[in-house]
Amino acid sequence: MRKNNCKLIRRELDELMLGAEWSAAATEHLRECASCREFQVQQTKLRQIVGSLGTVEAPADFDFRLRARLANDAGSAPTFFWTFVRRGLAVAAMVIVIVTGVVVVRDVFRQMENNKVEVAQKPEVRQPVKPDEAAPVVPEEKKTDHVVAGVTPATIRKIRPTQADYRKQPLATKDVSSVGASVLNRTEPAGVSASFPIDASAQSFTVSLEDGRGNAKTISVPTVSFGSQRIVQSGNPFAPKRDW
Amino acid sequence: MNTLTTIDELGFAPALQQDVLEDTTSDHALLEATRSGDQDAFAELVSRYRNQITSYIYRMTNDYDGAVDLAQETFVRVYRAADRYQRTYAFSTYIYRIATNLAISELRKRKRRKLVSLTGFFQQTDGGEAQELNPPDGRPLQDLELVDTERRNAVQRAIGTLPEKYRAPLILRDVDGRSYDEIAKILETSEGTVKSRISRARGFLREKMRAYL
Repeated sequence: MRKNNCKLIRRELDELMLGAEWSAAATEHLRECASCREFQVQQTKLRQIVGSLGTVEAPADFDFRLRARLANDAGSAPTFFWTFVRRGLAVAAMVIVIVTGVVVVRDVFRQMENNKVEVAQKPEVRQPVKPDEAAPVVPEEKKTDHVVAGVTPATIRKIRPTQADYRKQPLATKDVSSVGASVLNRTEPAGVSASFPIDASAQSFTVSLEDGRGNAKTISVPTVSFGSQRIVQSGNPFAPKRDW
Repeated sequence: MNTLTTIDELGFAPALQQDVLEDTTSDHALLEATRSGDQDAFAELVSRYRNQITSYIYRMTNDYDGAVDLAQETFVRVYRAADRYQRTYAFSTYIYRIATNLAISELRKRKRRKLVSLTGFFQQTDGGEAQELNPPDGRPLQDLELVDTERRNAVQRAIGTLPEKYRAPLILRDVDGRSYDEIAKILETSEGTVKSRISRARGFLREKMRAYL
């Protein structure tokens, strides 16, 4: 009971202004309670010391410095425009960076998807084909159909061909040995240049020359076959691996 | 029989003059005039509050130069926000609130930078508990004035070690002598909280100042 009373009395003493009169109950309690009396003495002394700190004066040039500061602020008002411009540029730069990032990421994803398709299709081991055994030319459309099967239209749309596209090219072989050479006769005297239109890619090349005195000479250039002609991606192993 | 020698001796005359003066030179009126571009009105406001605000911030931060800067910043903010000022509270409450926010902000900045005042004898340990680095000499000084000065310095340092939430209400109450109601408005809290914080702050101070009590 007395402890509770002490608490109440101390709170009352704490809340009162210095020098204010206590209640009758507080006065009565302080007369009886030495602990609260000591508390009251210490508290009063402490508050007197704190109160004695007083007011610290501002420096003499306070007003002058404040005016200068306000004037400086007012003078710098037009900088608002430049602040706005700077912010605008910063925002624009940020937008450019974001858009570039999105494009790069999208490109990388597309390339990854293309690689996945390539892995899914088992690559055939292609041996060089001799001219005699050369298979007929496979229409390219069929091949591409096979490659693209199971791929969504979104992945078909490409910005530029990749290395994988080049690898997808089929073997191309041409058999020209069965096509006979056409015979062309010209009788212009020697020393006159002659030109003969031939399709060197499709025919063997045989030239017969007669000098008009029964002497004849035949030059035959045999059909040259390079076997199966394969279009490879790049002959240089040190070339950077990227799209061209 | 007494004869009146001046008009001031009439009871009502000074009171009447005082009322008229208060209407035209109240803080609110001065701020209204400032809003309409009257620089002298603002100068009058500054002259009224510059010492109080500087002193209050100095007690909060224990750094005079910093306190002067913050006091100026307080007035700059008042000037800039003159258009937006509303008469909801007394002007003194308004300006003290700005000053308190600036002072607390400064204390938090210092805490982040872990600055220790070169003039302070106390230092915050990691746990936040104040530690006295240079305990006061117990021997009595001969000169009473020196004793008082030493006491004041000690109490100023002790206040500097209080957490900011206890420091502001204690200074407003015991140094500036403001009412609980006004302190509650300045600190934007309840009166009960203010009383409780002041009581705890005094408890802390009593422990630190035991040698002087």
